[in-house]
Amino acid sequence: MKYVILIHANPDPWGHPTSRYTPEGRALAAEHHDEMDRQFEALLEELSASGEFVTAEALADPASSTLYGWSPEGHLATDGPYAEAKEQLAGFFLIDCASRERAEEIAAQFAQPGGMVELRPVMWPGGDDQ
Amino acid sequence: MTSADLEQVWRRCAPEVLAALLRRSGDFDAAEDAVQEALVAAARQWPADGTPDDPKAWLIRVASRRLLDQRRADQARADREVLVTRRASPEAFLAPAADSPDGGERDDSLTLLLLCCHPTLTRPSQVALTLRAVAGLSTAQIARAFLVPEATMAQRIARAKARLAQAGARFTLPSAEELPGRVAAVAHVLYLIFTEGHTASAGSDLTDLFLADEAIHLTRQLHRHLPAVGEVTGLLALMLLTDARRAARTRPDGSLVPLAEQDRSLWDRARIAEGVRLVEAALPTGPVGPYQLQAAIAAVHAEAPSAQATDWAQIETLYRMLDALAPGPAVTLNHAVAVAMVDGPAAGLAMLQPLLEDRRLRHHHRLHAVHAHLLEMAGKDAEARAAYATAARLATSIPEQRYLNAKASRPPPG
Repeated sequence: MKYVILIHANPDPWGHPTSRYTPEGRALAAEHHDEMDRQFEALLEELSASGEFVTAEALADPASSTLYGWSPEGHLATDGPYAEAKEQLAGFFLIDCASRERAEEIAAQFAQPGGMVELRPVMWPGGDDQ
Repeated sequence: MTSADLEQVWRRCAPEVLAALLRRSGDFDAAEDAVQEALVAAARQWPADGTPDDPKAWLIRVASRRLLDQRRADQARADREVLVTRRASPEAFLAPAADSPDGGERDDSLTLLLLCCHPTLTRPSQVALTLRAVAGLSTAQIARAFLVPEATMAQRIARAKARLAQAGARFTLPSAEELPGRVAAVAHVLYLIFTEGHTASAGSDLTDLFLADEAIHLTRQLHRHLPAVGEVTGLLALMLLTDARRAARTRPDGSLVPLAEQDRSLWDRARIAEGVRLVEAALPTGPVGPYQLQAAIAAVHAEAPSAQATDWAQIETLYRMLDALAPGPAVTLNHAVAVAMVDGPAAGLAMLQPLLEDRRLRHHHRLHAVHAHLLEMAGKDAEARAAYATAARLATSIPEQRYLNAKASRPPPG
């Protein structure tokens, strides 16, 4: 089963890892960040070794995006950021694991200061006839 | 010889060639590299020189020579170990003929299956390695079948091989005490390959292989090795009986047809007959396991002329046995449907109540789909539509969601 782990955060200035650029993250000591980085590296190594890691991307500053609206006359392009989003999408991880429980166990470890982590199942084109 | 012919020969020989090399060297990575090089050599030489009389022996000879060359090069670099393979002639790698009395070849492909499903590996890695090494699929084919990037699948397979080496996994048959557990792991891996293939068939237009076929092929192999293991027989029967419905389970647009609404004239009668024969042979012989019971249930469905004429009392009994042996929410759901068919929807709904109150099952779309179905049977249409809507929101399968949404928005009868 595939799940996407979405990292929502508003780092200022925009940067990765986002937890270093949020007010909550900046309030933490450097050693604390180093420890979190080590734990995160270990998690990625584990997911890669188990074959559960599929892919991941860090996204650029939302201000660099272009938004496309649709109308019957044609599309309308405007510069970002997408103002309706309170917290911006900063990056995502795609994982492939055996159960929802395992996905929740993994996603919980992505929790970070000044951000919100969202676990969403990925839809697929098959199904069961039971 | 066309490249398609070459692939046929290759797919048939690859596991045995790999097994023959592993028996001597034990180094999965090096053995597989050597096998790959032998295939490249075959692709170059066979079209020009003609296919050898015994392609498998040719591949083993060439691959083992490559392996020896590699070993010698390694040896020259780090001259610290005396390897048995240095002294072995390439011919020593040749497996005994299929009819030889010691049956060495028979055991080899079983040993290879067991090695690929070694307990040190995670299930996804076992699945990938089995398809690569035993079924002889390319990394690209496996990646397409599981809808992951090829690089991800290559990484998964490479890591699995490294992990086997780290764990010191040996190319030998496990001990008699260990064997049943190891065979159970192989059976589970083959079951996962099958369900992936069976349930993803709506999306498989994009791929050039059916995982379900691979799973059946590998399970046949396992069954040939272990004809007396009832659960292996049961697993093969379950696969055949489920796969028999393949042509009836999707509409041309890819949407799903539930079992009750399928055109039974499209079911594959030959597969059903074989599955029924297998399960009938396995059931009386020993301890009854979950695969045999699921196969028996599939057999009752397969033999019913219509959904209405199904022997639900027998299915209810079989689910009760399955629930005692391997309880779980999925079994309870199917059992509740059978109970509803025998004793009426109220009895089935009563069985679902504890599940609906279980917080751990809150993402379980099938719980709500079954709940909706039983409410519909009970004539509670408004509640049924609400439950279908809940099920649709939770479904992660695109055709299932489409089906559930249609049920949720259907106007009340009359």
